[in-house]
Amino acid sequence: MGRKPNRDIELAGPFRLIIVGVTVLGLLALFVLWRVQGPRAETFRANVTDRIAPALQWASAPITWAANVAGDFQSYARLYEQNQQLREELRQMKAWKEAALQLEQQNARLLDLNNVRLDPKLTFLTGVVLADSGSPFRQSVLINAGARDGIRDGWATMDGIGLVGRIAGVGEQTARVMLLTDTNSRVPVTIQPSGQRAILSGDNSALPPLDFIEDPSVIAAGDLVVSSGDGGIFPAGLVVGKVVLTEDKRLRVRLEAQMARLEFLRVLRSHELDPITSTGGLLALPPIQGPPAPTAADLGPATAVKAEGEEGAAQ
Amino acid sequence: MIDPVTFGLWRGRFGFAAIITTLIFIALLPMGGEAGSLPGPDLMTCFIFVWMMRRPDYLPLWLLAGAMLVSDILLMRPFGLWAALVVLAGEILRARAVLMRELNFLMEWAVVSGLMLAMLLAYRFGFALTLLPQVSLGAALVQWLWSVIAYPAVVLFTGYVLALRKPSLGQVDSYGRRF
Repeated sequence: MGRKPNRDIELAGPFRLIIVGVTVLGLLALFVLWRVQGPRAETFRANVTDRIAPALQWASAPITWAANVAGDFQSYARLYEQNQQLREELRQMKAWKEAALQLEQQNARLLDLNNVRLDPKLTFLTGVVLADSGSPFRQSVLINAGARDGIRDGWATMDGIGLVGRIAGVGEQTARVMLLTDTNSRVPVTIQPSGQRAILSGDNSALPPLDFIEDPSVIAAGDLVVSSGDGGIFPAGLVVGKVVLTEDKRLRVRLEAQMARLEFLRVLRSHELDPITSTGGLLALPPIQGPPAPTAADLGPATAVKAEGEEGAAQ
Repeated sequence: MIDPVTFGLWRGRFGFAAIITTLIFIALLPMGGEAGSLPGPDLMTCFIFVWMMRRPDYLPLWLLAGAMLVSDILLMRPFGLWAALVVLAGEILRARAVLMRELNFLMEWAVVSGLMLAMLLAYRFGFALTLLPQVSLGAALVQWLWSVIAYPAVVLFTGYVLALRKPSLGQVDSYGRRF
């Protein structure tokens, strides 16, 4: 029939070896390229994901629907029990509501007295979660809002209660949210009421640890963790979670956001950030030659007072 | 008119592509495990080895490399590293296709498990070499263990549902030659 010999069967030939070698080396070169040209490669990835997003929406709709039905069915089964529980909670909440109203009035009066201006630019837009990272070792989700909605890299994302992560990768109609639990996530936080600064660094566990704490002895389990706004990426004062002390004697954070079932995410339109064009240049300030000039915070006992003053403003 | 052997060849290739696509979509569904939950098996690698062990001619190099590159891009992995390792492992098996056909299932299982472990270690080595943050070795080993446990199930599934088996004695390839 005039066919050439089957190359798939002629395995050990040197020609075959060269083809395999070139393919493997090409893929490895691609890996190096990805490592060196990170932002550009991730832009490419965001664009590819953008292309398949409509298909994803179409494919995931019936399955998420089925999962919701199953969940609803389970909750029907214990309707009475839930009803009792809700009544009980409602009674407690009424007391809290009174307290909250009083506090709100008090807060408004105090803000008025202090002449505090809240950031007027802090508006948000809401996106629906389309897909997650697809790997058990990467913690991120894809939402259905992207560059055409004005979303920019680095913006903070919340689930209505607590901080969830930040935008890392924007396509035309989708954006990827890197969750706080991802191994690449680092977020500067403040621990209240002690005012200690720390970095919340994700490690792919449900309770991300706090790193670089100056004085761990003043931090107790149950302390509130909020974003500190250091580095200028996140607005300050977003609720992150509560401190817990795990068995390995590390201070970790139980996140306030419901990470198990993310459905709607709020992207805080915080401010215009510089676009990320190269690796490493994301957060670093322009290099300073020589030792940094001493600031007021470095000069003795004023530090604690200043920090606490900022905490007050953050709240 | 398509002869049955060519039909089988393309059915095998399309079957593989369809399975990889399905697995990617399932992985992307927004109901994946929470951070910290134990990882499940890496079914994609299982399917690749099953295909490679049974009918390497159904899994040409271009299809394998292309499918893995696409999954690298969509599943948030670094580009190319895992694809390179899978292609390498697949070609190692393909070069020994004649020997692999003689193995009984237990030996095949052992070979696949060993290869998966080697791929895992090489992957982690690649991460360490380029200073990328990586997950704990424990979690990675749990995933490997699950993949090893899942492999026989994948073999049964492909054997009985997709009718993908090792070529029997005297069966001919698309060029009319014996395996």
